[in-house]
Formats: sequence, C-alpha cells, structure tokens
Amino acid sequence: MPAFQPGLVHLPVTPFKADRSIDFERFGRLLDFHIANGADALALPTHAGESVSLSNDEKRALIDFAVEHVAGRKSLIAHVSDAGTALAAALARHAEAAGAAAILATTPYYWTPPPAMILEHFVQIGGATRLPFLVHNAPEEMAGIKVSAELMLMLIGKLDNFAGLVDASLDWQFMIDLIMEARHVRPGFALISGDELMVSPAAIGATAAFAPLAAIAPRLTRTLFDLCRDQKLFEARAAQEEIAGLRQLFKASGVASLKAALAARGRDCGDPRPPLQALAAPAKAALGRALESLQEPRGW
Amino acid sequence: MTNKFRGVMQSPVTPLKDDFSLDLATFEKVLDFHVRTGATAISWPHHKGESLNLTISERKRFAEAAVKTVAGRIPTTIHVSALAVEDTFALARHAQEIGADGILAITPYFWTPTAQAIHDYFVRLCSSIELPVLSYNSPSYLAGVEISGELMARLIEKLPNFAGVKEASFNSEKFLEISRAALPLRPDFALVTGVEFLLPSVPLGGVGSYSAAGSICPNLCRDLFDACMAGDWPRARELQYKVSRLWALFRNQYPSSLKGGMVIMGRPVGPTRAPLPTASAERIAFIERELEALSILDTEPHGW
Repeated sequence: MPAFQPGLVHLPVTPFKADRSIDFERFGRLLDFHIANGADALALPTHAGESVSLSNDEKRALIDFAVEHVAGRKSLIAHVSDAGTALAAALARHAEAAGAAAILATTPYYWTPPPAMILEHFVQIGGATRLPFLVHNAPEEMAGIKVSAELMLMLIGKLDNFAGLVDASLDWQFMIDLIMEARHVRPGFALISGDELMVSPAAIGATAAFAPLAAIAPRLTRTLFDLCRDQKLFEARAAQEEIAGLRQLFKASGVASLKAALAARGRDCGDPRPPLQALAAPAKAALGRALESLQEPRGW
Repeated sequence: MTNKFRGVMQSPVTPLKDDFSLDLATFEKVLDFHVRTGATAISWPHHKGESLNLTISERKRFAEAAVKTVAGRIPTTIHVSALAVEDTFALARHAQEIGADGILAITPYFWTPTAQAIHDYFVRLCSSIELPVLSYNSPSYLAGVEISGELMARLIEKLPNFAGVKEASFNSEKFLEISRAALPLRPDFALVTGVEFLLPSVPLGGVGSYSAAGSICPNLCRDLFDACMAGDWPRARELQYKVSRLWALFRNQYPSSLKGGMVIMGRPVGPTRAPLPTASAERIAFIERELEALSILDTEPHGW
C-alpha cells in the first residue's frame, strides 16, 4: 500500500444548534473555513468534534455530509473509535463506502485493555477496510491507556494498511523507539504529531501534524507546520513557543474553550453537548480578551 | 554571557575494586579519558555513578579527586542529591570548599513535596553557597514531583546562581513550559537533557546533555551534538537513532551494563554495588555482539 502523508490536519468541531442537534449549515461553513485557511486534510469527528457525544447515526450522517460538501477538495480522515470493536469496524466500513480517504481509531480505553486486546481491536478495525489506517495514541485523554512501540511494530506485521501513528503522548522516547524501527519494516510509515507541539516530533522524524488549535490560529499553525516540514527547526522555535502559550489557555476546559474561542472569533458553533459544560460568561469573556490581539482571521 | 554548562558533558561511572571499595587510580583514568575525548564538562556522581550507593565521606573523597584530576581543563560540577537534605547541604558546602565549578541537585522526592516545599528547598540550597546550581527535574522517575515552568521562573527571579536544569521529563510540553518560562528571564539558563534526547531538545533551546555514554562512544556523542547545533537534522536523526539503540542496550540494568560495555572497550572499571547486579560474562558477551553490530568497536577509541 502506498504511504499516506496527510500534511497539516485540521480537526473541525461539531456545531450544535440551541436544541443541541447538529447544525449542518454551520458545519458546511466551518469546513469551507478550514479548507480556505490552510488545512491539507480534515479529521472528523475527533474529540475536538465531540465524537463521544454523537450517536452512531449522527457520526455516519456527519461523515456523509462532510464527504459530499468537501467534494474532494481535501482528504477526509474518518475517526471511527468506539468502545466495541464491531461497532468501530462497522463505522469504518461506512466511512470507506462514503468516500473517506483514511480511518483513524484510538485505544478502547474504557475496558482498560491489556496489549493483546488493543492489538486485536486495531487489527479488526483496520482490517475492515482497505483504506490507510491510523492509530491515535493519546494517553492523557484515555485515562493513561497508551500503546508501546513494540505493539505498533506488531500491528505493522499484522495489518498491511496500517499507515501511521498520531501521537499525542508528547513522549520523546516512544516516538524515537517507534519511527527508527517502523521506517525499516514499513517504508513511508507516518509518525504524525498529535498536537501543535510539533518541533520535537519533526526533529525525531514526524512528517505530519494534527492541530486542533488551527480552528483559532490557522496562520500561526500553518507557519509552524511549513517550517517543520522544511526542517527549519531553529527558525520554528518562535512560532512553537507562541502556540505553546496559546495552547495553555485551552488546557483546562478543552472543547468548551475551543467553542468559546470560536464564538469570540466570529465563528459561533454553539455550546458543547452535555456532559461537557459551556464556559461560564466570565471565563468566556476572559478567553476572548486573551485572544483579542491574535493576528488571525475573524468571522467565516 | 554564555553559560559554561553546555555541550556533551560527561558524568563518569564510579570504578570499584573487586572488594567493592573505591578505585581511585581507575577513577583518575576515567576522568582523563573524558577530558581527552571531548567532554565539555564533568559532573559526578550521578545516579549512573552509583551516588546513592556511596557514603557521604566516599562522595567527598572522590569529589576532591575529580576536581584535582580535571584541574580546571573543563568545568567540574558535583551532584549533591541525597535522600536526606542535610546531606545535600553538606555536600554542596564541600563542593564549594574544594573548588568545584557548580553543583547539581534533584528535587527532594521521598515525601512528595509540594511546589512551595520544592521552592523553599532550592532557595535554601542556593543561598547556602555561591556556586552556580543546576537543578534536576525528573517527574517520570519521581512519581510526578517536578519543577513546573512557573516554579522555575520564581526561582530564577529570586536566585542569581540558579543556573540551569537537567530536564529529564523528555516530553515536548514539559520542556516547552520550562523553556518559555526560563529563557526570557535568564537567556543563558542551561537547559540540559540526556545525550539520548539532544535531537528533540536542541531546536527548542536545549544546549547539551549529561551522560555517561562518552565512556563507550565519545565520537558518536560529539558528532551528534555538532550535527544538532549545525541544524543538520537528517544526519542528527541517524546519529540519534544510533544513540537510542545504545541507550536501549545500556538502560537494561543501568549502570551495570555500562560497566560491562566498558570492559569490551578496554576500559574496565570493576563491579557494581548491590542491589545493582554486576554484568555477567554472558551479558558482556551479548553487549559485545551489539556494539559490534552498531560498528562501535570500529569507530570508537579502545583502551585508555
């Protein structure tokens, strides 16, 4: 299978109306915004897109809508994680039929899985389609559940379409251990930075990045990514430090902050769905002020 | 001013005789070897120098030997971390008396101290001597005890001799939080990692490493540092991967395997004190095969 190199990946949120139903009209405008503002590819619905708060039918409808709306302008990576292996595999098959370019899945963290269980979960989901399959390693989000380099090398051996790992562990040893071996057993295997802290991964050998904050700071994210891609790593440091500072503003409240920031920047996508709570008015105002001087697009 | 604690700094192992007593003559040879093969500073005794298995008087005796043998050719820092902080203060005062160039001290960890307790500890330590103090931050080994970026900034603002950190989180976010907090306040603050993580740290302001790898492969260490500083990332990556393979070999039963590797390199330094094992003949034979596969035997100095 040829290598899958998605470049800079944006992670659109899922807009909701006041009645908490998906606002497809705004979702379409949001997809257009990402495409016009530096995305090489889109991944959805990720955790930034509140995937765990969407019903199975909604996830399918969202992917169908996105494929049709994006209409081949950019690659779409479908996130299909579910606690049950068969549920995730069925969603992967749906995404392939709809026209997604690749499949993304996380560990089935709810079951506190041992390595053998994680491996089989990924073999089944990845094997459900012929699309490039990406694993998302995010121990902080997944109650500490993570994958080892050894386990990922075993998955390469079992799954022809295992194309890359999206790493949000921030762990230098893990990234080095994985890519220095994976490049031999699967040339073109993509190590993908799982967040905006992409300079160290780029030094280690990452070739792509997932950037949730591209929704707020698409110019800065693009500048940083291009410098990393061109291996201008000393030159990338200033942009890296700036976005690292920005990232701290979103750390405590995650998606709720992201949605508050979108509203503050003139792209209101509604509040998050329960159990996530919208930021209280003072916190919303403070975040808006903190982003006031950002030299980034406003509105749609 | 450029901080003098930069580059590939070596933290020597502690040579022991067969009866496990300190081997001074071999220690002097180790120090000389590091100085001659390009170490930019010496720091002793790190954990790989079996610091925790030495008595305080042994540590003082070898600290004096280190300062005397290095003789100002490169800076010498003394690692003063001990379980009891009173021992740390005594070792710090001693390091100053014997003419060391600085000290290195870890966060106190056994009692899982609060950020304020860590702050007070470093204030007391740094105020007790005039030497530069490098802190040692290792949250993944110390159950989350760490110096956050915010705490680092408070200490820099308060303490003129708070000169750097051995940053052993090896994590993009933790490193960036410290660099963003520290460098604007003190541009020459030394951000130091291990030689196994020069590649991801140098682009973000890292200036060097503490390591014992120079006892096996000083040429590789120097080449990696030079490639990183020159921004030659493709070359740096290949060299970093090679160092990682070596690290995987040595971190198993560290530092026993390192001492075993030194036998192969013609620089034997004796056994390792319990509870650490001493590398067996089988283990040494395995290490030899690995070093040969990595072409270390052809590219690095043999003997003293």
